Amino acid sequence: MALNRRSFLLGLPLVAGGLGCSANSGTAVTRARSPGRLASADSPGKPTVLVCMPDTKQTREVWSGLKDELAGHFALVAVDVDGDRGNEVLSRAMGELHPVCVVLMNNPTVFAYARYQATAGLASYPPAIVVMTSFLDRRPTAIAGATGISYEVPLITVVTNLRKLMSSPVERVGVIRRMPLHSFVTRQAELARREQIGVIEQPVSLDPNAAELKYALREVKQHCDAIWVLNDDRLLSERLIADGWLPGLNERPYKPAIVGAASLVSPGQSFGTFAVLPDHGALGVQTANRVFDLADANFKLTDHDEVDSPLSTTTTVDLVQARERFALRQDALEQVDHILE
Amino acid sequence: MSVPSRTRLGLQALAAIAATELVAQTAQARTAKLLVFLHVALKQRAFESELQAALPGLEVRAVGRLGDFERGLEDGQDAVLSLPALLDSHGLSGKLQGMRGGSPEERYSLVGAGAVPDPARVAAVGALDLLGRDGTNAFVYALLGAKPKVERVTKFEDLLPLIQMQKVDAILLPTRLLSDLQSVSRLTLTQRELAKLVKLPAVASAGAGGAEALAAIARMPAKVSRTLGVDEWR
Repeated sequence: MALNRRSFLLGLPLVAGGLGCSANSGTAVTRARSPGRLASADSPGKPTVLVCMPDTKQTREVWSGLKDELAGHFALVAVDVDGDRGNEVLSRAMGELHPVCVVLMNNPTVFAYARYQATAGLASYPPAIVVMTSFLDRRPTAIAGATGISYEVPLITVVTNLRKLMSSPVERVGVIRRMPLHSFVTRQAELARREQIGVIEQPVSLDPNAAELKYALREVKQHCDAIWVLNDDRLLSERLIADGWLPGLNERPYKPAIVGAASLVSPGQSFGTFAVLPDHGALGVQTANRVFDLADANFKLTDHDEVDSPLSTTTTVDLVQARERFALRQDALEQVDHILE
Repeated sequence: MSVPSRTRLGLQALAAIAATELVAQTAQARTAKLLVFLHVALKQRAFESELQAALPGLEVRAVGRLGDFERGLEDGQDAVLSLPALLDSHGLSGKLQGMRGGSPEERYSLVGAGAVPDPARVAAVGALDLLGRDGTNAFVYALLGAKPKVERVTKFEDLLPLIQMQKVDAILLPTRLLSDLQSVSRLTLTQRELAKLVKLPAVASAGAGGAEALAAIARMPAKVSRTLGVDEWR
């Protein structure tokens, strides 16, 4: 397929939105009376769970799953704490609602809650569950009393999904990574070994240029069956995508590229062959289950409250690229949520 | 006020008859709505398309979460296809029962990685969420005869990550779906079939078009019924 860099660059704002769970996409859930209040589900006499979230399509899906599960057991209040009035909104919500648990969605919300804790100076805080933040694979240290669910789909899940689609074997997966993500990749490789998946790491410098990235891609493609593209924003800049990833992926030998942002899969651009992303509604259900677990423990975090991985995913395929370059299993499309062609 | 003439009375009667017929025709012309909530080994999008193609006279909606199912019911349905356990919990009764090998029930298995799981000794079990937290817990406890921690998932494919990531000791699923799991995993999956049986999917009538929906499902191609674990409808 012909590469169209200009049209790809025009699509880059979508990439940024997809990776960062941007707070600017979508429309309001329900604008309510209190400042910053997005939505609520009343349950008189029940303890309150405070949900801090930006108002986006993705966060609304998580909210929907959360609400379906928790309504009736808890009162739920959603507030937007990003922006200039974030601290005021948080302080008021914490003071008025006395939540037994706080759910924090996305990086800016976590930063806002950390700022709130720093200024509030209380002896203790209700447990917080962090979701939809990048590379959360250990309990967050910036917040007191926090655990969470990471946003990165584990490699073992990514490859299991890929094996359902490809008719050729997927045994070795290549990954280009900078040093800060070395330990993340090592942990993922360890987990993936359970499914007999080998990981070939190709390190690049902290600030690689397009030539270095393209060279790394050519190297790793010689030894792997698929490329796993990390959601590392330093490796997914406009320039590196246009001058490193795209030319590298669009030369032989072709390898399927698995990405972690839907916007990186487009039939007109030939970047990601497949995107495997968290299922946001199911992520809400998984988050609700963590709330129930905390309730069973009287809202006290224990050493067992480690960060979980998202269990449920959605798969998107660029069918044009996949059909042109790779052999798919006969029933592959039954295992795909979104088909782009 | 004048007494209506015979002619006027006749015209009013005709208009009333015509209006009644129009309402009846409109009801007949309306496509019957079928709501489906089942866990199968293919994506919801593909499942819904397959059912819709097999049931062209119905408007099919397949959902994967209890919340979506309940919202679907509120929207008004003519028929509902799910496990009898779910139908019962919503005051619906199955009028058309799925059968396999002449039985309306099927076996479930407890599946682990490595040693064969013991229902009495598993601490945490993964299960498909059909009945919400309390209902699914009760369903699992009844099948196992024990009370482990239950990790609920919304899709069949989400069961495997639970054992891949060692979040649970075992997962619970209809035995017929085990081969789908084995085909995508290189884990050494071990199975213990449970003694207690679970009823296969059934169809409940929920509205005026219920009979039409039931008749269409009874005639559904065998290949599609097999996706639901059913080889005939009674």
